[in-house]
Amino acid sequence: MNAIAFTEVTKRYGDVLAVDGIDLEIPAGATVALLGPNGAGKSTSINMLLGLLRPTSGEIRVFGEPPDRAVAAGDVGAMLQEGELIPELTVAETVDFVRRLYPRPLPMEEILRVADLTDIAGRRADRLSGGQTQRVRFALAIAGGPRLLLLDEPTAAMDVESRRTFWDNMRAYAARGRTILFATHYLEEADENADRVVVIARGRVVADGSAAEIKASVASQAVSFLLGEQPVAGLDALPGTTGVELQGGRVTLRTTDLDATVAALYRKTTLDIRDLQLHGADLEDAFLALTKET
Amino acid sequence: MRHYIKVELLRMLRNKRYVIFVVAFPVGFYLLYANLWGAEADQTTGLRGSVLLMVSMAAYGALAAAMMSTAVPWSQERHSGWLRQLQITPLPGRAIIATKLVSSLLLVLPSLLLVGLAAVLTQHVTLSPLRWVELILAMWAGTIPFAALGLAIGSLLPPDTAQPVAMIGMFGLALLGGLWFPESIMPAAMRSIAHLTPSYDYASIGWRIAAGQAPHAADAAGILVWGVALVALALVAYRRATART
Repeated sequence: MNAIAFTEVTKRYGDVLAVDGIDLEIPAGATVALLGPNGAGKSTSINMLLGLLRPTSGEIRVFGEPPDRAVAAGDVGAMLQEGELIPELTVAETVDFVRRLYPRPLPMEEILRVADLTDIAGRRADRLSGGQTQRVRFALAIAGGPRLLLLDEPTAAMDVESRRTFWDNMRAYAARGRTILFATHYLEEADENADRVVVIARGRVVADGSAAEIKASVASQAVSFLLGEQPVAGLDALPGTTGVELQGGRVTLRTTDLDATVAALYRKTTLDIRDLQLHGADLEDAFLALTKET
Repeated sequence: MRHYIKVELLRMLRNKRYVIFVVAFPVGFYLLYANLWGAEADQTTGLRGSVLLMVSMAAYGALAAAMMSTAVPWSQERHSGWLRQLQITPLPGRAIIATKLVSSLLLVLPSLLLVGLAAVLTQHVTLSPLRWVELILAMWAGTIPFAALGLAIGSLLPPDTAQPVAMIGMFGLALLGGLWFPESIMPAAMRSIAHLTPSYDYASIGWRIAAGQAPHAADAAGILVWGVALVALALVAYRRATART
């Protein structure tokens, strides 16, 4: 069964089209990254999944139900971008309050352990550091033992060390067959923590697959050399080539298959090739290529 | 929801502003005023000062508790993201406002009871058991309009404006209602305004009961109309504040 299904979903704020026709299915048990630059529509999509916002058109289903109903059934937990706690309550009181709102909550000790809060359970929320507050918010997201966990840029306020611990904790939670969707604009996080990456830009899905597939799908590999006065014609017909750029006598061929393009360059042309340089793909390039304004 | 109420009570009892304005103020001022004027009799109601002041200060404390426990905390929760945190749990939306109202009514009790206790212990105020029950129940139920007003303020305004508006509303209602000074010493124009306020109706019902008289029909009708109007306003404002677009 699909944990999440978007069918032709759009969301308009006045003149701005924040989500522009998203179709997306995420099967139960997957860990998926929603990757995109700021303003791409990530938070809007997550808020719609929680029923906090309504789509302008299209349909969203969570475990086959409208989002409101999935939330009411206790199937969804989320860590939203901003969110303070009640200052007068302790960590344990806050977590216990929220877990009791769910029909099938996790045991208290387990929540505190997974979110790394056991040592500060008795501390009042107004005496927590930023990183500790984030951990409490993660604890609140998992407290009900939801089948679907949504995380909207969960590590935004964390230092490197807390980030690492956070993802370890998240993976521990995911390991039990739960579905996780997290929004991020950090490529590394998407690459390391998700088995599938959905890239969105300007409210649309621009790529969808494993991190490796996304790298491969984009012509971000390139070969360049000094062309001098020689003719540029015919280079765009070489195997794998998706684009040719000429700048000051140096030509750059964008390609989806670096090996084939280079081989053909030597075998099928008679060009005098000097100062050949190869550029491999990384997710950063792929991301920039996919999300750049056109 | 019972646990939610418990959590709400716990946090307010740990809130210094609540404890000072709502519990310490009315009891402290009662002790002060009752020492000064406790023995004098009031001309309009015929009540001894110590009884009149008990009702006035209990009314002030209850009014303050009803508004302080609603307006600013609720506005802050909406803006800090705590409301969203609750909205993404299985807790139904109507349970949130119902809990706020019930908790606020429970938080009114400490000031009512402590001022009463101070009156009994220090001024030896005696009323018949039935009169005590009537007085406390009437003064308890009478705080519903003020709690509703606080919730409406919290729903309509951001925290930095909800704070002064709630404070001005609270002290304004207390002053105009004759809780701090008897309305008989007010200028005529001010007095006619005072008579329109729910706080005047509220305190007046308390004074009448304490004096062993039936409340004026106009006061009962006044607070009922205010109650219905403010609860309706609170519900509309709550719906607007939690609307999902």
